[in-house]
Amino acid sequence: MHESAIAKSILEIVEQRLRSIGAAADAQSVEVLFGEFRNVDPESVAFAFDNMKALFQGCANCRLSISTIIAAALCKDNEHQYRPMANNAYRCPACASGIGKLLQGEELDVVNVTVELERMEKEKEQHARVG
Amino acid sequence: MHESADEHALERILGKNEEMAEHNRDHFRSLKACTFNLMSAPGAGKTSLLETTFQKAGSTFSSCVIEGDMVGDLDACRIRKTGVAVHQISTGRSCHLDAQMIARLLHAEPLEKTNAIFIENVGNLVCPAEFPLGEHRRIVLLCVTEGDDKPIKYPVIFRNCHLVLFTKCDLLEHVEFDINKATKNIQAINPDVKTMQISAKTGYGIDRWIAWLVSEMTDYREHLKTAKHVHHTAH
Ligand SMILES: Nc1nc2c(ncn2[C@@H]2O[C@H](COP(=O)(O)OP(=O)(O)OP(=O)(O)O)[C@@H](O)[C@H]2O)c(=O)[nH]1
Ligand SMILES: [Mg+2]
Ligand SMILES: [Zn+2]
Ligand SMILES: [Zn+2]
Repeated sequence: MHESAIAKSILEIVEQRLRSIGAAADAQSVEVLFGEFRNVDPESVAFAFDNMKALFQGCANCRLSISTIIAAALCKDNEHQYRPMANNAYRCPACASGIGKLLQGEELDVVNVTVELERMEKEKEQHARVG
Repeated sequence: MHESADEHALERILGKNEEMAEHNRDHFRSLKACTFNLMSAPGAGKTSLLETTFQKAGSTFSSCVIEGDMVGDLDACRIRKTGVAVHQISTGRSCHLDAQMIARLLHAEPLEKTNAIFIENVGNLVCPAEFPLGEHRRIVLLCVTEGDDKPIKYPVIFRNCHLVLFTKCDLLEHVEFDINKATKNIQAINPDVKTMQISAKTGYGIDRWIAWLVSEMTDYREHLKTAKHVHHTAH
């Protein structure tokens, strides 16, 4: 359910960036990182994103590209680096102690928005002709 | 080339919620109220715990409650019967409280000046984990009828909390719930977490829970005195 809140937040960030560019630009794609130690299902977010993107200025054709970040931890007892996983109850395979420090896997970030400049350029040309 | 990759730094997708949570934190500071966010699966015993707590604590500390529910005000009515002030937030379609909902409430209705604010989140072990509210402490209730494997299935909420309460411990003799195993499962995810066993029905463990609350409130007051914190009042 909260996946739609996450899709909406991504679209708001894209819309905000388009606004900061100023001209009427269209977003072509947005790249996001989802850590596997967050409660976010990529498919649900993608579904919600495609369903609501037309409601956001300049986002109707925006593609969402999701990269999943594998979790990595240092174990509590020996600082072994490992990937905490459910089937191991998130314990270190070498010494069975738990997570001491989570190094990565809690990301939930927008990394990049790609903007189509064609429309901006066309408008500039028109301006030039008119002006 | 008809595209441009922009040069912004990483931007946190739920950054807006985090900003609002900080804003709420300022409100709670100016109220000098220690705020507890109670989270659990539906029916794990959040409202019952609050009822028992207010009965047992008497005038040890003053409280008010923010009740988050998708529909209805059943829980708010139960709390009101204990004499404690309740503020209702109906989340509608949303299966969690977010910081914006709390901020809206804080701006619309002034909260009573109390030592403690308890926020009862919507019953759900998934979504509330992603939305900090500006609370001081996050508490997860795990009912012994739910199974000792739940921390493995819902790691995010167990990782991001300060205290786990094993609830309905009066039922322990009827179910196969290994407290030891559950505790180890939680500690493997969250090494600093505290755990306690309680029963709102029999009152088992409630004194210890109240003592924990009081010590958190005391620490919070000390923290307010010493911290060189923001002097602007939240508005
Ligand atoms: N045996 C026993 N039953 C309990 C205890 N605490 C709560 N219950 C029962 O569990 C059921 C749910 O309790 P609530 O306090 O409403 O749970 P909740 O977490 O507030 O539920 P939601 O707000 O709907 O998520 C009720 O029927 C309670 O009477 C307890 O300590 N022991
Ligand atoms: Mg309740
Ligand atoms: Zn190890
Ligand atoms: Zn405010």
